Amino acid sequence: MKTNTAMEESIGKTRPQLTEVVAKNWASFFLLILLVVFSFTGRGFFSLATLQTIVHLSTVLFLLAVAETFVIISGGIDLSVGMVMGFTAIISSKFMQIMFKAEIAQGTCMLVGAVAGLVICIIPGLISGLLVARYRVPPFISTLGMWGITLGVQLKISGGYTIPFLPPKLVDIGNGFLIYIHPGKALSFFKRPPGIDETQIKELIRIIPNSFIFLFVVLIVARHCLRNTKFGQYTYAIGGSMDAAIRAGIDVRKHLVKIYVLSSFLAGLAGVFNVFQAGLGNFTRFSAMYELFAIAGVIIGGASLMGGKGRVFGSIIGILIIGVLEIGLLTSGVEPFYRFIAVGVILIVAVVIDHLFPDLF
Amino acid sequence: MALRADTTITRRRTLYTFIGLYWAFFFLLLEFIFFSSVARGFFSIRVIQNILFFGTAIFLLGTAETYVIITGGIDLSVGFVMGFATVLAAKLVAAFIGLGMGPAASIALGLGITLIIGLIPGFINGILVACLDVPPFIATFAMFGISHGVSELLLGGVWAKNLPHLANAIGNGYFLYVAPGKIVSFFQRPVVQRGQKVLEIIPNVVVVTFFFIAIVAFVLKRTKFGHHTYAIGGSMDAAVKAGINVKWHLIRIYMLSSFLATLAGTIYVLKYITGKGDAGAPFLLDAIVAVVIGGASLYGGKGTIGRTILGCFILATLETGLRVLGVSTFDKYIAVGVILIAAVLIDQFSPELVYKED
Repeated sequence: MKTNTAMEESIGKTRPQLTEVVAKNWASFFLLILLVVFSFTGRGFFSLATLQTIVHLSTVLFLLAVAETFVIISGGIDLSVGMVMGFTAIISSKFMQIMFKAEIAQGTCMLVGAVAGLVICIIPGLISGLLVARYRVPPFISTLGMWGITLGVQLKISGGYTIPFLPPKLVDIGNGFLIYIHPGKALSFFKRPPGIDETQIKELIRIIPNSFIFLFVVLIVARHCLRNTKFGQYTYAIGGSMDAAIRAGIDVRKHLVKIYVLSSFLAGLAGVFNVFQAGLGNFTRFSAMYELFAIAGVIIGGASLMGGKGRVFGSIIGILIIGVLEIGLLTSGVEPFYRFIAVGVILIVAVVIDHLFPDLF
Repeated sequence: MALRADTTITRRRTLYTFIGLYWAFFFLLLEFIFFSSVARGFFSIRVIQNILFFGTAIFLLGTAETYVIITGGIDLSVGFVMGFATVLAAKLVAAFIGLGMGPAASIALGLGITLIIGLIPGFINGILVACLDVPPFIATFAMFGISHGVSELLLGGVWAKNLPHLANAIGNGYFLYVAPGKIVSFFQRPVVQRGQKVLEIIPNVVVVTFFFIAIVAFVLKRTKFGHHTYAIGGSMDAAVKAGINVKWHLIRIYMLSSFLATLAGTIYVLKYITGKGDAGAPFLLDAIVAVVIGGASLYGGKGTIGRTILGCFILATLETGLRVLGVSTFDKYIAVGVILIAAVLIDQFSPELVYKED
């Protein structure tokens, strides 16, 4: 009740208090603090290359977090995103491997592989969506079931090994940059300037990884969908109150299926991207904990597990915190395992803050 | 839906209820028949003992999960708490051996300390869930990350090693050795002539596992603690009004769950003589699936240890059966996922549950 009156008072004022601003955007401030701290402790942390690396390496997590954002806003949870990602990566890389072996042009291989992966990755989402919407299976159980199934399928297809011998151009695209500058000499787009030998590579400045552009497009589209379209509004409505949404005439069942399909599709997108980034078909390991990081990112970003609350931008901040933490700890010479602990602790803190001050956001 | 005649409805109801109640038994039976007819040498004391031996972790984690699910919560951390326990126990025992203690003393001390430290994750989970109102799912999920991080930290990239041979002898030994017509001995393999057959009956770890499960099952069924657990799951408000100290009770339940996971971890150390951070990770899914197969409701208030054990049996048999068949265990995950969904669907369609929910 106290917070309520405080809120009412502050609404009356024209300028919000500083404490309130900080509390509302604690994640952003936390990110800033992390950046400052690591800039002091980590050697070479504050540089263009490192910051680009952080985003580049977190691309997969960004996609998974966006997927999770939609599901969590609708009041559900998707535990299968990490496994669906590996599942898609294995399927699309298997396609590429077979076609590349048959000496089909690299471009076709990649295109067909990616499309095949993106089509098939919808299936797990469709199944878990139908289970949740039609048969009232708790979301976390139906997606846990899909977790097991997609894990089994990807291990079966890959035989427990990463899938090698993929078109070499994959990595050029996945790890390429938009602009290459050779100071004072050359500037080129997408490709290294010609005629550069090994010693000169170090002088080359690379700006904006291709993954940035890809990620940027996906994030903007997702944000637009969530904020400005009917689809997004329905998502918030369902998360806010399922009953109210039904009474308002929303076809909740159909919409829920769509949300889980979207989540699965985004996870698949992450899987296909992972193939491009690694140049290999990686299956998801038990200890990878992509779900933990994705869900933690979304919750840190201010979404509520009760549904009806959350923003794509918030999730981006959440994932950035996790990414900065990882690379920052690495450059500071701390053991990387602390990351799991730190993320777990931050996740709990985020939820507790959300519970203690429900009116803040 | 169109109305049907009364009689058909009741008949359908009883049929549904029957299937809803007993499908797990039939499924286990079918599984046994299937594997016995397909896999050579499946139906033997040896294999059935193996099912129990390899299933200890599933049994213990399933029991732990039953308690938590009855209260309406969930514990996702059991798998990695178990992994954490394997690492801790292995490291402690190795450290005590390094200090020059005897193998028996260091094993006892190492496992004892592990079991005590194993209460901590559960305590934290309980505090978060009961006092800070964090959804159980997220609190234990965070603990899942934390315990994984801590165990990797302890390991530093290599598996724990340098454990005494005694651990192996305990973990892979049997409770009873029978040399037919000659000798019966407990715990120790009797000295017999070469060529003489010695029957090994009931692995030690299975005895330990079921000893603890029996205690926990008794507590759930017959004591106040158990009744309060059901009460909290049935309706938290009612439990509060009935004067139950819900917070403290929830904390104790999460500690119990964590304790059983730790026990599974120490047993793992005895069985495989190593500690691995992700030793328990595959069993998280199994544990939850076993509880759901056992007919517990995820909304709380329903479930028994006996039926969970049945669910555990189904999964353990599946795993061992597939192994005997020589099928890759990867298929197991698919099967388990399908069974989980099927179990939930059956629950959803059995009128008993629908009735309760409405």
